[in-house]
Amino acid sequence: MSTPLPDASAPSPAPAPGRAAADWPAAPLPTLGKTGRRAPRTPLWVALLLLLGVAQSLLVVMTLRYEEASAQEHTDEVAAVALGDIRRRTQLVLQGLQGLPLKGWADPAHGLLSSHHELGRIERRDLNGHITEVLDSPFREPLYARWPRDQANLETEVACDAARRVMSPMFARSQYVPQANGTGLEVIDVCVPVQPEGRLIGFTVGSLVLPAMLEAVQVSEVGHSHELSFVEADGTRLARIGSVRGAGVFVANRVVDLPGTTLQVRVDAVQRAPSLIPNLNTALVMGLSLSLFAVVWLLLRDGRRRARAEGLLAEALAFRKAMEDSLLTGLRARDRHGRVVYANPAFCAMVGYTAEEMQQASLPPYWPPEQVEQYQRRQDERLAPGAELASPHTGYETVFMRKNGERFPVMIYEAPLVDGTGKHTGWMSAVLDMSAQRRVEDLSRQQQERLQATARLASVGEMASLLSHELNQPLSAIASYATGSLNLMAEPDADTPDMVRQAMTRIAEQAERAGRVIKSVHDFVRRRNQDHEVIAADLLIESVMPLVRLQARKSGARVDVDVVQPAPRVRVDRTMVEQVLLNLARNGIQAMEPDTPVAQRALLLRVRTVSGANGDWVVLSVIDEGPGIAPEVAAKLFTPFFTTKAEGMGLGLSLCRTVVEQHGGAMECLNRPTRPGAPAGSAGGAEFRFTLPLHRPRAPVAGPRD
Amino acid sequence: MSTSPFQPALGLPMVYLVDDEPVVRDALAWLLRSRRLLSEGFAHADAFEAWLATQDLAGGWPQSPACLLLDVRMPGTSGLVLFDRLAERGLTDALPVIFLTGHGDVPTAVSTVKRGAFDFVEKPFSDNTLVDRVEAALAVSSQAILARRHRQALARTLAELTDREREVMDRVVAGLPNKLIADDLDISVRTVEVHRARMFEKMGVRSAVELANLLRDAGHPPPTGAR
Repeated sequence: MSTPLPDASAPSPAPAPGRAAADWPAAPLPTLGKTGRRAPRTPLWVALLLLLGVAQSLLVVMTLRYEEASAQEHTDEVAAVALGDIRRRTQLVLQGLQGLPLKGWADPAHGLLSSHHELGRIERRDLNGHITEVLDSPFREPLYARWPRDQANLETEVACDAARRVMSPMFARSQYVPQANGTGLEVIDVCVPVQPEGRLIGFTVGSLVLPAMLEAVQVSEVGHSHELSFVEADGTRLARIGSVRGAGVFVANRVVDLPGTTLQVRVDAVQRAPSLIPNLNTALVMGLSLSLFAVVWLLLRDGRRRARAEGLLAEALAFRKAMEDSLLTGLRARDRHGRVVYANPAFCAMVGYTAEEMQQASLPPYWPPEQVEQYQRRQDERLAPGAELASPHTGYETVFMRKNGERFPVMIYEAPLVDGTGKHTGWMSAVLDMSAQRRVEDLSRQQQERLQATARLASVGEMASLLSHELNQPLSAIASYATGSLNLMAEPDADTPDMVRQAMTRIAEQAERAGRVIKSVHDFVRRRNQDHEVIAADLLIESVMPLVRLQARKSGARVDVDVVQPAPRVRVDRTMVEQVLLNLARNGIQAMEPDTPVAQRALLLRVRTVSGANGDWVVLSVIDEGPGIAPEVAAKLFTPFFTTKAEGMGLGLSLCRTVVEQHGGAMECLNRPTRPGAPAGSAGGAEFRFTLPLHRPRAPVAGPRD
Repeated sequence: MSTSPFQPALGLPMVYLVDDEPVVRDALAWLLRSRRLLSEGFAHADAFEAWLATQDLAGGWPQSPACLLLDVRMPGTSGLVLFDRLAERGLTDALPVIFLTGHGDVPTAVSTVKRGAFDFVEKPFSDNTLVDRVEAALAVSSQAILARRHRQALARTLAELTDREREVMDRVVAGLPNKLIADDLDISVRTVEVHRARMFEKMGVRSAVELANLLRDAGHPPPTGAR
């Protein structure tokens, strides 16, 4: 046939066991795969990071902006203060100059110079502009010590001309006056017309030294955080003050309006445009941002780890669940009150209740109602505080009930459930359904019994054959005597009564003989149902002797019995052991029938005791004088259904050995050595012997052994 | 029942019993005796053979009708073996053998009948049936004895013939006419007729056909002198 079996042609043959075992734990994974759960998370994380980035950038930018704004504002403030101060001072100097008297002005002028450091020199000029009187500031060298006044007189004259025209003080444009130490000073002259009683008589010219003016400004910032300077409209710096130089970033320009001229005051903050790196605020923000990112990253990593752990946990859980579900052993967990908290599918299938039903029931529903009290007591004992925790290796057997009411035996192995803190929280039990095993045991026992019954039947059959022969003799004789008597009485003569009486006597004898035969069988069969009993070995032999003798007489054999005295005792199923003896004896007698001369036919039943390392034994031997056992037969001697007899079933010896082994003994067979003087080539017969454990009475029997 | 079918000249019939069971021997002997039959029992085949050796076998034992009741199964030499030995010695004609078989031995017994045993009877037997079979066997035995005696008488007669008469007889039995016999023996036809008449007289026959029947019935060997 070329049609392959469906299994054989299946495209995917069953995997090798090893591979299957390796694959199996991975099987539940697809249902909770990592990719499926993590995929929607990544954009979330990316978005979060992006938003965080934008927020951080904005924060940094705003921080910078704020810093810039506040720096500019501060600069403006400084500028305003400085401007006010300059204006006020200029106004004071101007008032002082206007207040000078015509005559005797030297003292007030001197006082003016002393109180105003920025005023470098006071001159009196006539209407033509010629200098009439000069007074220099006591705080510095005379302004025009190095440079002649004439060289710097143009702007002053212009101012005086203007003052003459408007009849009010006029400032000249600033001019540079070189100094003796090689430096120079920017100076602004102010020309105040002197006009007592409304008539112009001359001019008072005051020289304002611009650097000194700046020095006089009372602003605390000036000097260290801001640079203060006068600049011209075109941006040329005329004078400056401060040990620091402005950065030119935060600048405030203010115009000082003076009659005749304008001055521009510039405040320049030392502070540069706030940079990212060395900035404290930025650094702070950046640091915080970095910390934030670090935290986010840590969270991310933690989440990932957690996910991995979760995956592993789920995998382990699924593996365990699959394991529990695939188990054929029922698993059941109970809390300390005996309530079922967990039951695996095998247990549910076993008892037929769902796990929920069991969990909700106050008493386990699988307890047979008639046993509930006893079980409850047993459970209370086991659950009582301080109760010994039974070893999990020693299970106990009990009876549960299925949902359909069927009772079935179970084997329970119970172990305490201890949680992580070492607290005893309940009991875990493995429950094995013993009904199948019990069935198998029953079946096996039944088969064994049936086999024994068969063998017994076979034995009985053989016995029946023997009996029929044995009973034939007396029955034939009886029939003969009876027929003969009838014959005689048909034609009676003088001898007839005597003859008939003789016949009747013989009939009675033969009937009694038949009765004896029947009784010997009856005795043998009667004890069939008895259990093990302690019996002396010679009694065993005695009880089979009538049957053995029947058989032996038929074949003309002699039967000898040799039992060591006192007879050892054995504890046996008497009927079975007697069957063994009978079987062996019959085999021995039958073995001698074909070839052994009648005179040599002898069967010996011998009982001995031996002591060995493995105890004391009674050895029962059945020894014949037949041809012995051929090696090829000896090999199969105890095989069931092996026989050398035409009518035998082949169960005798195999069953004999079974019986002996059930009693803890052993059976063997051996050929005896040829007897001295026997013809060459003749065998020494076979010996079948079996052992039974010696039964020791309470008081050991002191007697010679062998 | 007591009417004996035997020729009184043959003497009392005798039944021999070979059975290892003394009870069976005794009971059977008693039964036979109730039918006016004598019997003698032997415990086993060897005993019977030993007794047989003392008998005058060459002189034509048994002279009176006899039969043997033989148990098939016996310790020692079995009934079957004994039967084979007797058959070998040609004794089973005058000593018919009835086997006594136990239960379940019927196939064995049937095979013995095929080998020449007179019958077999299964134990436990219906006793008068057994005795009937015994009587039938004894009748066979007596006939065998008579036949043997007849043969012996014929042999004696043949021994009384002269050589010439014997030669003539052979040729007569072979169916030759006198003329041819005369030619064959190189004698005259007249002489043949004389020899023939004397031979017929001695043999007690009146024709050649009678002579041939007589010789054939006696199991006499065919004529040797004939061509």
